[in-house]
Parts: sequence; structure tokens; C-alpha cells
Amino acid sequence: MVAATPGVRAWGPSGSENAGPNPPKAAYVVARVGEAVTVISVEEVSKEFRSWRRRVQALAGVSFEVRQGEAFGLLGANGAGKTTLVKILLGLAHPTSGRVTVRGMEPVRARARRRVGYLPEGHRFPGYLSGEAAMRLFGRLAGLDEATIGRRTRELLALVGLSDRGGDRISRYSKGMTQRLGLACALLDEPEVLFLDEPTDGVDPVGRRHIRDVLLDAKAAGTTIFINSHLLSEVERTCDRVAILHQGRLLREAGVDDLTHPSQRFRIRLEERQHAPLELLARFGAVTLDGHIEVAVPDLPTLNHLLDELRSQRLLIAEVTPQRAALEDVFIELVREERGA
Amino acid sequence: MKVWALVVDTWREALARYTLLGFVIVSSLFMLMLTFALNLDIVDGTLAAGSLFGRAFDLPGGTPIETVVTTGESAFAAMLYGLGIFLAVFATGSQVPNLVHRGTVDLYLSRPVSRPALLLGRFVGAVTLVLANLAFLCGGVFLIISLKTGVWNLRLLAAGGMIALVFCSYLGFMYLIGVLSGSTPLSIMLPYAIYVLAMPLAAHDHIAAVADSRLAAWTVHGLYWLLPKSVELGRDVVQLVMGKGELSVTALATTLVFGLGCLAAAVAVFQRRSY
Repeated sequence: MVAATPGVRAWGPSGSENAGPNPPKAAYVVARVGEAVTVISVEEVSKEFRSWRRRVQALAGVSFEVRQGEAFGLLGANGAGKTTLVKILLGLAHPTSGRVTVRGMEPVRARARRRVGYLPEGHRFPGYLSGEAAMRLFGRLAGLDEATIGRRTRELLALVGLSDRGGDRISRYSKGMTQRLGLACALLDEPEVLFLDEPTDGVDPVGRRHIRDVLLDAKAAGTTIFINSHLLSEVERTCDRVAILHQGRLLREAGVDDLTHPSQRFRIRLEERQHAPLELLARFGAVTLDGHIEVAVPDLPTLNHLLDELRSQRLLIAEVTPQRAALEDVFIELVREERGA
Repeated sequence: MKVWALVVDTWREALARYTLLGFVIVSSLFMLMLTFALNLDIVDGTLAAGSLFGRAFDLPGGTPIETVVTTGESAFAAMLYGLGIFLAVFATGSQVPNLVHRGTVDLYLSRPVSRPALLLGRFVGAVTLVLANLAFLCGGVFLIISLKTGVWNLRLLAAGGMIALVFCSYLGFMYLIGVLSGSTPLSIMLPYAIYVLAMPLAAHDHIAAVADSRLAAWTVHGLYWLLPKSVELGRDVVQLVMGKGELSVTALATTLVFGLGCLAAAVAVFQRRSY
């Protein structure tokens, strides 16, 4: 439920300065896990596309759940089945087997799509419509009354920075502008569940930041968010949990914090102008990088042994920092393991 | 509300693509021509003299004006039957392919509107569009001729309604092709193809009689009863305006059944298809 009221940040140069009060991720997740209300349920879903020449298994027995208020990311390489799964969740595609529910209802029913927002990948608004006319059309199709449509159109076009272009035909919009209009349309009926397929596709870095801010606001307001994205850094910043799809199968489903937990890689910073002997570093497989020592150790005693050796050289240790794995590294590692298997 | 939104959307699309403007311009030019270029001298209920664009045309002496009017209107109705359906098919052929285009269909189907309502809303939009154009042209021609001659032949308006029904049948077929193929060229060409294919089938009894197998004869009869009856309905439109002869209810009914069947099949396919 995105409340685009005064107080919600607006799209524009000053928007990025307004960081907005986002609750701490960990605390928020704990609160929601306590409630454990399942909003999206995917049970053993398979999808096979058949043509007269061949069959393609897009999804094979995928199962997971998304809880209320969560931001959930679906990751996968091209052709992994992400978009197919989102389309099944919206009733646009039918599963070959298995069952999905959104807020307890099967999404093929029109009623189930009330207060569900969707920003499709590569969406193509009718070019003959203006931004405002598109909002009016999709607002009417969502069953909103005219007064609500007018109010939400004004609020949301301001939110995505299209107030002054709302009367222009969409055929004259840039790709980034149509993406922002798509986001405004997805938020039109104050969705309880928001599906976004590559939401930052074709958007410049400033625009990406703003989309992320809008999503974080939506999440803070209690909207459940489901994101498909190739941009893993975006997912890492926005999502609480992720699922990784590979060739239609679910490889892993876990919290972002769990996946990127501190590894056995450490960064050691010495007192300024001090340098460790290269032969000592070589013995531990460590390297110097930007004036720091980077080392991967099998266990903590080995790390402490290295620190003892450094101290014995009369070197002062200023900082030891465990390095977190980037989501991208985890993703690539998992996919590589799967290919190897 | 949702169907209304789709009807408005259809009209907006027609306006933006200049389809509506094109119809209005062509119809208005025709009516202007009829108003200013056609002159009729009527004396004692018969046509004494007439001219088109200043050129006198000859008619047998003492022809009753009613006969002249109904003959002229029937010629107009015959032209409208052929050309009007041709243009209407051309103008609405892209409707479903545009709707089911990847990226667009997602936007519509992700809204809380059922697939049959979505397709039928567009169908109603197209029908209202063509009805409005037919009403404008037929109504305008009816008014001009009636005011010029004093002969008010309401059967011309009924013929307009009949043409609209025939178009609805072709529109149902276009929706089926559009949903199945997503192709605008196919959605336009195939209705023309069945329009032409149905013409020789009017002589299905004769064709079946000379067929070299029973299967071929049944196929000819089957196609005749399945497809719209383009020849019979063209003849019926003319007879309706003339007020002569019996109208073939069977031809109109089977043509409408064809359209309804195609529309129902389009809805069923649209309902089941994954996008």
C-alpha cells in the first residue's frame, strides 16, 4: 500500500537526498517472520512449452513461499524461467502442473488480481495514449472510481517525475520514462502485492536510485514486493530473501543476509606506513590490495596465527574486517556448481 | 465500467490512428456529392429530369420517383455492403493482434478483469465504432435523398443494420484469427478470403452435382453451410431496400451463427492461452 501522499519522496533532483525512514532490515524481517502470513505460495510448479517441433521445460517443480511485507527477489540467468514464473503468479500463463496462490486465491481469477500491481519486462503501452490516459484506462480496468483515478494519477505521476509530461503521448516517451510510467501504473490501485520484472531496465543510475527508494517506501508501508532482476546489486539492496532459479529449477532460497554471510575472507589494515614482509604473506596465501592485506583462511586459528606473526614483526594491526560475499558472487558460485554437477 | 473503459479505448485508438477521421471524411465527401452534385426535377411524382455533376442522365419517361429512389438506394446499399465491409475489416483488423502483442497483453491481463470481458469489451468497442460510421453514412444518405425527393424509404436504414450484422460475423472470425495468430495481415486477409470463397459456394447444389465423389460433394455443402453467405446476403440487402422478394432468414442466421461460433472459439482460446 504505497501512500503517495505529501511526505512521500518525489522523483527529481532533490529526491535522492530524501532517504526516507526505512526500518532496519533485520528487525523488520524478524517482526514479519513472527507473523508468518504467506502471501505468495508456489507449490511444485512446472511449466512446459510445447510446439510441434520441440518441448521446452521452463519450470520444473519449483516451490517456495513469500511472506507478507517481504521484499523477495527471484534471480536467474536469461532463460532460467523467472518471467514465466511471474506470469504464472499473475494468471497470465498457466502452469502445466502444480499450484500457485496469491493472497490465498488462484491468480487466474480476475478477483485475485485486485490490488496486485505488475510492472512487466519490456512492457508496451499503447502508443496512442497519453500517460494520463493510460493511467485512466488501467485505473478503470482495476475497478477504481473516477475520483480515485484522478487523485492517484496526479500523485503517482508526481512521484515518478512525469507530472509535466502526463499529457504527452507515450510514443514520445523515452525508455526510462515509459518504465517510470509502468511503475506508476503498477502502484495505481495501492497494491498489497507488487510484482516487478526487471524494474530498472533501461533506467539511468539516478532513476534506478529513485525506483529503489519508491520500492523501499512501498515495503515500509507493508506492501509485499516480488522482484525479478538481473541486477543483483539492486536485489541485494532491496530484498530480504531471494530464490535462485537455474534452468527452471530452484537452486537455493534463503535470506539475503544468510547468503552473503561473512566468509572466511578477511581484510587486515596495518598502522599507516607499515608494510608486511611479502614472504610472510605468501606463506598464508595473502595479498596486498589498496594498502590492505587480503587473506582467505580455512579457520580462525589460522587467522590468529597470521596476526601473531604480524605482531612478532612489530607491526601494529589497526583493523581486521570479515568480508561479506556479494550476492553476485554467491549467485555465480551456485550456478557454476550446478553446471559442474 | 470495465467494458466501457475498453469501448473508450477502442474509440481512442481509432481516433489516434485516423481510422475514424478517414471514415468521416469519405462519408462526408460522398454526402456532399449527393447534396450538391445530384439534381432531380420531380413533376407529379415522376422524375422529369436529372443531372449528376451537371450532366443530364436519361431515364424512361414517366418513371415514378419511388422507383428511382429505391433503385438508387439499392445501388448504394449494394456498394456499401461490399465496400463498407471491406473497409470495416481493414479498419479493425489490427485490434486483437495489437492487444495480444507481448508487453501489451501483460498490462491488460494483469488487471482484475476477466479475459472474456477483455475480449468482448474490445468487440463491443469495434461494433459501436462501425455502427456509428454506418449510421452516419446510411442516415446521412437517407436524409439527403428523402429531403430531395420526399420519398422516405426506411428500408435503407434496415439494410444498414443488416450490413452491421454481417460485419459482426466477420469481426468474430477476425477475433479468432487474431487470437490464434496475433497477426494483423492474417486477420485482414482471411476474412476477405472467406468472403470471396463463399461466392461460388452460392451455387453449391450445382457444384456438388458435378463433384466426382460423395466426399467432395459433402465438403462443398459443408463449406456452404459453415461460411458466411456473401452472395445471398448481398442480394438480400438489395431486395430489402427495393422492398421486393423474400429475404433468406437462413442465410443471415447461419452467417450470424458462424460469427458467434468464431467469437466463442476466440474467447475459449484466449482464456486458455499462456502469454
